[in-house]
Amino acid sequence: MRARSKKGAVRREKALLYALFALIVVFFLFPVVWTLSLSLKTVPELYRLPPRLFPDTFAIQNYVYIFQHYEILRSLGNSVIITFGALAGSLLISVPAAYAFSRIKFRGARRTQFGILMFQMVSPLVLVVPLYKYYNALGLLNTLSGLILIYIAVSAPFQVWFLKGYLDTIPKEMDEAATIDGCNRVQAVLRIILPVMSPGLLSSILLTAITSWSQFVVPFVLIDTTSKMPVAVKLVNLQSTLTNVTTHYLAAASIVAIFPTILLFIVLQKYIVSALTAGAIKG
Amino acid sequence: MSRRARAIAKGIARGPALWLLPLAVFLVVFFLYPVIDVIRLSLTNSKMTSARFIYTLGSYARVFRDSGFLGTLVITFVFVGLSVLFQFLLGMAIALAVDRGERLGAGGSVVTRSVALVSWAIPGVAIGIIWNILYNESPSGVLNYLLGTIGIGPISFLSNPTIALFAISFANVWRGTAQSMILLYAGLKTVPVETLEAAEVDGANERQKIFRITIPSIRPVIMITILLNIINTFNTFDMIMSLTGGGPGRSTEVLVLKAYTTIFQLLDLGKGSAIAVLLLAVNIVMSLFYIRIYRGEEPA
Repeated sequence: MRARSKKGAVRREKALLYALFALIVVFFLFPVVWTLSLSLKTVPELYRLPPRLFPDTFAIQNYVYIFQHYEILRSLGNSVIITFGALAGSLLISVPAAYAFSRIKFRGARRTQFGILMFQMVSPLVLVVPLYKYYNALGLLNTLSGLILIYIAVSAPFQVWFLKGYLDTIPKEMDEAATIDGCNRVQAVLRIILPVMSPGLLSSILLTAITSWSQFVVPFVLIDTTSKMPVAVKLVNLQSTLTNVTTHYLAAASIVAIFPTILLFIVLQKYIVSALTAGAIKG
Repeated sequence: MSRRARAIAKGIARGPALWLLPLAVFLVVFFLYPVIDVIRLSLTNSKMTSARFIYTLGSYARVFRDSGFLGTLVITFVFVGLSVLFQFLLGMAIALAVDRGERLGAGGSVVTRSVALVSWAIPGVAIGIIWNILYNESPSGVLNYLLGTIGIGPISFLSNPTIALFAISFANVWRGTAQSMILLYAGLKTVPVETLEAAEVDGANERQKIFRITIPSIRPVIMITILLNIINTFNTFDMIMSLTGGGPGRSTEVLVLKAYTTIFQLLDLGKGSAIAVLLLAVNIVMSLFYIRIYRGEEPA
């Protein structure tokens, strides 16, 4: 009797949970799904009442139109270049630093790390004000390389912090054994450490890629040539030129802009989650 | 190479300096120097349009005498307060539900968790545009249509100054819940199962377990989550820019936007830098809190 009532209670609780799950899924997916739906509608459908979730014809031509008329491909290309540049550069400076913090004992190491952590909390707007002036003087405004340099600096603090934590989980004996075998430190890092830490590297690469792709304040201030805009700035630029009648184009451009990050997220979620939670949970 | 030079070279190779040097260069050039320079600029009357300036405290005086500045602070406070409160509550509710679902073997728990995280992967600018579309106040605006079907509205989401502030906060809850949910969820996984089982044997119900065991034992995670949400919300620029642009009027112009418009639209570099320095001060205080909580968790 008691067992049966417990079973009933579990079933009731499960039903409640399912209802809750459905609510959560609708709340988080609806905005994206609606935008996707708008991006596939024709102009009369935009104004039809009541609005419908499913477009009549799936107007793929909206996407063709924005690629033909708004240089979307160009801005996607810019974002790709900036993101890869930022990734390569920031790993080149953060991997050695993370190695030093994890493997070399020195005075003030912990303090320095917390100092680096503080940089991560500073609003990029604060940095970009003086940087605008220098870039103006140096002719680096409206250049992708100028952006990449800043993105490297902005991404590095997280990477150092995260990769150091990851390295700490790899037994020191592994690379020590390599140095006994006659490897120097650089060789030990390249041959032993990098392969072993590849899941950690992947996590930090993904997080940096998504944040660099999404970065807005920095390029918004430093780029005003349309052909140099990354896709995030391009969206705002489009928004200011389009009107209500062209919402479907704006929706299509938004979908194109968020597609790469959402795809990465869906495929490699496991790695992203581990990077996301690293700041709060100790391994 | 002499033996001595070789010894020194070996010492340098063994120390951390060379490994840290590239990072140090980037942080000095792109963080430290700009930060010092923004403080210096805040002590001048610089304009974007001219190279001439004098050192003065006048910029700060102008910030505080600006009749709209108190409004900016209130708007920022409401935006941050509402966002963080609901990001936390909603994040906690979802984390608990997913965790419970997994324990009961309810299908769809993992899918729900993934879906609740999706907003994290969307660029802030796109989130602003998406919500701008949803909030559309013409008859074809979908949120007003949906509310209309249950007899509410139409609501002037983005044209009424007070409602607009709630509207950006709501959109930001949608955006930021992901992060707080995943941190809290990871925290829940660290609660020892034995403790929960022992409480169950002692006759504790679900609610008692949550409030007496789960929440107290993940307290540091909760504090870090809230702090990170405060920092992220406080620094939010992208989403507001594309959602309202700070309007209508200045009703959604938070501190970061105020710094931006003062410098790049009003071209008042001195005053804008003074606002940026206030922003920086808040960032620094927050990160000191963060470090303190983090260290408190650390084994000494």
